[in-house]
Amino acid sequence: MLNFEEELKRFQPCLEVEDIEEAVYQEDLADMTDLLREVIEQTNK
Amino acid sequence: MEYTQKLIYQSNYWYNDGLQKAKIRDLSGAITSLKKSLQFNSENIAARNLLGLVYYGRGEVGEALVEWILSKNIHPQDNIAGYYIQKIQESPADLDIINQSIRKYNQSLIYCGQGGEDLAIIQLKQVVSSCPSFLRAYQLLALLYLHTEQYSLARQVLKEANKLDTTNELTLRYMHELAQSRRRRRENGEKPEDKPRKKPQTVTYSIGNETIIQPASAIMKENTSRTTIMNILIGLGVGIAFMWFLIMPAVNKSTSTKTNKQVAAFSDKIAEEEAQIAALKTELESYRAVSEETENAQQTAASTKDSYEIVIEMYSHFLNDDISDSAMVEQILKVNPEALGALGRERYDEMKGTLFPRYSETLYYTARENFDVANYAEAAANLTMLMQIDAGYDDGNAMFLLARAYEASGDADNAAQWKERVEKDYPNVDTSQASEDNSDDYEAYDYDYDDDYYDEEYE
Repeated sequence: MLNFEEELKRFQPCLEVEDIEEAVYQEDLADMTDLLREVIEQTNK
Repeated sequence: MEYTQKLIYQSNYWYNDGLQKAKIRDLSGAITSLKKSLQFNSENIAARNLLGLVYYGRGEVGEALVEWILSKNIHPQDNIAGYYIQKIQESPADLDIINQSIRKYNQSLIYCGQGGEDLAIIQLKQVVSSCPSFLRAYQLLALLYLHTEQYSLARQVLKEANKLDTTNELTLRYMHELAQSRRRRRENGEKPEDKPRKKPQTVTYSIGNETIIQPASAIMKENTSRTTIMNILIGLGVGIAFMWFLIMPAVNKSTSTKTNKQVAAFSDKIAEEEAQIAALKTELESYRAVSEETENAQQTAASTKDSYEIVIEMYSHFLNDDISDSAMVEQILKVNPEALGALGRERYDEMKGTLFPRYSETLYYTARENFDVANYAEAAANLTMLMQIDAGYDDGNAMFLLARAYEASGDADNAAQWKERVEKDYPNVDTSQASEDNSDDYEAYDYDYDDDYYDEEYE
């Protein structure tokens, strides 16, 4: 049996057109390269 | 190999995987793979563009635009993201419809959290109608149908959702739940149909860009036309009754008042006309009287003229003695002595005094001779002429002779008429004697007439 409330939590609001700009700014573009660089820097420290 | 190369290879690997999944409409799997690809290399433009495309394919236009904008920023030149963005910007109306759908979807989430499942269903129906590729809306709608036990509708919605994204976990789970609930109902002996749907408590409709949601009990949407017609009929009936009982009597009264006034006016006019007619009649009568008088005057004038002419002419003949007494007397009888003046009357009297006795004697003796020879018609003619000159000639004996002449000729009417007149005007005349006797009388009279002569003879 489905739990309606629990299932409802899986649904998140969609991005509206007015919110795109903010979402773009908040997007984290860090990838594995940035992560390895950080690890190397910490190792070198 | 440098790690950067390895990362790039990994990123590409997952991009390829995402691409393969996208091709078979496994959008959820494609999103997972492409996100992994971007984790390895966030500057993998292809992966980011494809990710945007996949989001767009699921109806999540906002997320798609984010990816494309990021892609465009990372690599502005020769980037298909620019084309995608441009295509969306070219149709602002479509973008607005998508934006509205997204808002409705977000609002539906709020309704669900507040317990307004029916409102949410209504909203989501509009969303999937305007944006048929919006996967999340289908999934939320399916959840609501499952929650409200509208299983057939849930099945339809999940079918559509599955077409959009074949391996979506949520869709598959709901479909599994649907099958489970169907099995449970069969096992419990219930018919696998839906439980009766709750009557929607609200009614919604759109006017332009606005969505109007009202309680169903207040509107009765399906009976609106019938209610309207009934209201119109009731209004018509009330209006007709109002007119019949309130307005028509007043109208009739004013009409009858107007009619009465008209009748009164016409009556007055008729009376006036009648008075005029009477006056005109009186005037006409007076004109006729005047006309008669005028005519009489004319006749009198004519008679006077004629009388004078006769007197003048006859006096000339009288003096000359060039025509017979009968001719002169006949003309003189036509004279109207009243119309003559003094001189004319004098001459008239002169002629009359001479001619009338002389001619009367002639007529009388001629008539007697006619009577004696039984020429009663001639006698009657002569005596009739004598009556015109002197009706009482011979103290009425001439009149009596005329009656006897008529009687002898068989004209009883004239005989009786003249006899009556004799008896009336000349009672001394003995009208009881017979014709033979009378002829003896006339003979005696004859002798009497010549009495002086015979007396002179025999004395």
